[in-house]
Amino acid sequence: MALSAQAWRRPSVPELLDLPSTRAEAWRWADMGALSAAAALAPIARAEHEEHFLDLPGARLLFVNGVLDEVHSVLDRVTLIEHVAGDHALGRHAQGTGWSLRLDTDAAADPVQVVHVATGGENHLPAEIVLADDAVATVVETFVGAGWSNRATRIALGRSARLQRSVRLLQAGGFVSLREEAELGSGASLVSVFLGAGQAGSRIDGQVVVGEGGYAEMGGALLTAGQQRQECAVRVRHAEPNGQSHQLWRAVAADTSVASLAAAVEVARHAQKTDGEQSLRGLLLQRTATVNLKPELEIFADDVKCAHGATVGELDTRALFYMQSRGIPKPRAQAILTRAFVADALDRIASEPVREAFAADADAWLDGAL
Amino acid sequence: MTMLVIENLHAEIDGKPILKGLSLEVNAGEIHAIMGPNGAGKSTLGYVLGGRPGYEVTDGSITFDGQDLLELEPHERAAAGLFLGFQYPVEIPGVSNVQFLREALNAQRGSRDEKPLSGGEFLKLAREEAKKLDMDAEMLKRPVNVGFSGGEKKRNEMVQMGIVDPKFAILDETDSGLDIDALRIVGDGINRIMRKPDKAVLLITHYQRLLDYVQPDRVHVLADGRIVRSGGPELALELEREGYGALGAGVEAAVGA
Repeated sequence: MALSAQAWRRPSVPELLDLPSTRAEAWRWADMGALSAAAALAPIARAEHEEHFLDLPGARLLFVNGVLDEVHSVLDRVTLIEHVAGDHALGRHAQGTGWSLRLDTDAAADPVQVVHVATGGENHLPAEIVLADDAVATVVETFVGAGWSNRATRIALGRSARLQRSVRLLQAGGFVSLREEAELGSGASLVSVFLGAGQAGSRIDGQVVVGEGGYAEMGGALLTAGQQRQECAVRVRHAEPNGQSHQLWRAVAADTSVASLAAAVEVARHAQKTDGEQSLRGLLLQRTATVNLKPELEIFADDVKCAHGATVGELDTRALFYMQSRGIPKPRAQAILTRAFVADALDRIASEPVREAFAADADAWLDGAL
Repeated sequence: MTMLVIENLHAEIDGKPILKGLSLEVNAGEIHAIMGPNGAGKSTLGYVLGGRPGYEVTDGSITFDGQDLLELEPHERAAAGLFLGFQYPVEIPGVSNVQFLREALNAQRGSRDEKPLSGGEFLKLAREEAKKLDMDAEMLKRPVNVGFSGGEKKRNEMVQMGIVDPKFAILDETDSGLDIDALRIVGDGINRIMRKPDKAVLLITHYQRLLDYVQPDRVHVLADGRIVRSGGPELALELEREGYGALGAGVEAAVGA
């Protein structure tokens, strides 16, 4: 669904939103103008939500403008609780009533699906996922509609708990800002994959603290077109020894859009034997587009392995011609190559139906952009 | 029946003329070999026929099966039945051979109003072709040419040719990088897939050795952007024996240029 230019209204006093200044290094690529405009977006019709729930058992939460639609939701093990605001510049706006998934030791819940529908204006929603020792959970979130959707999610994983989290941003307009704060106990595993494949601006802001022998993945694919701007600003901190982390991000930018990937890994002095990997790659579909990459390593321990790579490029013209010479039309060849480029980020999603749904969203985006 | 007619072809790369009035006719049922010294324009001829961007035709014409080939996009040339075997097959990370070839075949079939092959039908066909060319079927699942040896890449080109089953193949130094056994397998593949009354081949090669397996009907010497001499299979043997320099004034002038 495309939004007409008339639907955008710049608020006359954007300072009222109390947004972070882009003069600060951590916010230099943030598109606060788009966020303000999204917050002032006039009401639009509510988007269909049914198609965005995948055919999975378990909880289905439908939030419309940050408010639970009880009629269309199945809470299963999820409850609604009052959340206290944190201190993050955007995340602190998300306070009050929000959802909570708490699992006891050894518990394994069916997947939790959350669909967020925005219909203009701004909406804020806090959430928490707290898994006790050895508990296992899968959470899938989908953002649709238009407006400024702001989320603060706190994740706490006990010893050897495992969480697989997949988030797709499919809003047709506006802005989605996510603040994720995760703390991993010893041997705990968190795999977070984000896909930005809508037409909204976005900022994915995350901080993961990895405990002894913990495993953290935080990555995904940001696909931008038109004048869209999307960014991630994530930081993984290894506080204890023997942890492993992977930050694998892919950005594809078309037209005059801007995708920015800032990923930091921090290894504390006694976090020996840390194995951190960072791979940031950008693909420009047109030379008018921009991809910013900022890999950051802060290592205070001396016995660690931290591999990192950051590259921006264009599609391989030799590969394009090779494919064309075998009968594949150029736009399709471009789509196949671009899809291959983002595939390793989406392949981190363990659940097959979730992975396939995300891949289909990426394909749909490519069909539109190429 | 004449399949390919090239008349007075001039082509350049970055403003530098490479082909300078090349003319050639290939009939259905024939295999033609193009030989010639380095830098003569052999690979350029292949790329111009395939429609590679950056190879600009400044004069002349190419007619394939009665159609103006230069009017067609590269993928349309493939659908019309043209196959370009690459001297350096390209590696495509993240795209499996199976996906690549199925996309290619079904795109070609689609443009000819033929039904696409299902995944199962395609796999059966691909496995059969791989087996005929002594390629491990497991390699079909691997990303296109990634990590393949030079010989495996060339064999993979022949598997692709077998699967798309073209009318006309331009094979650019398909023999380079092959050991003796692989050369025989590839040569047999070319004969099996392409030596038919309604098909034709243009073999671009430096050496006689592939021609021991794939007997050409005609041999042409390409030098300085033109065909300077044509003959029967004995011409290739003569070249092998005497070198390009001994071919007479026309070639000498061209080679020396």
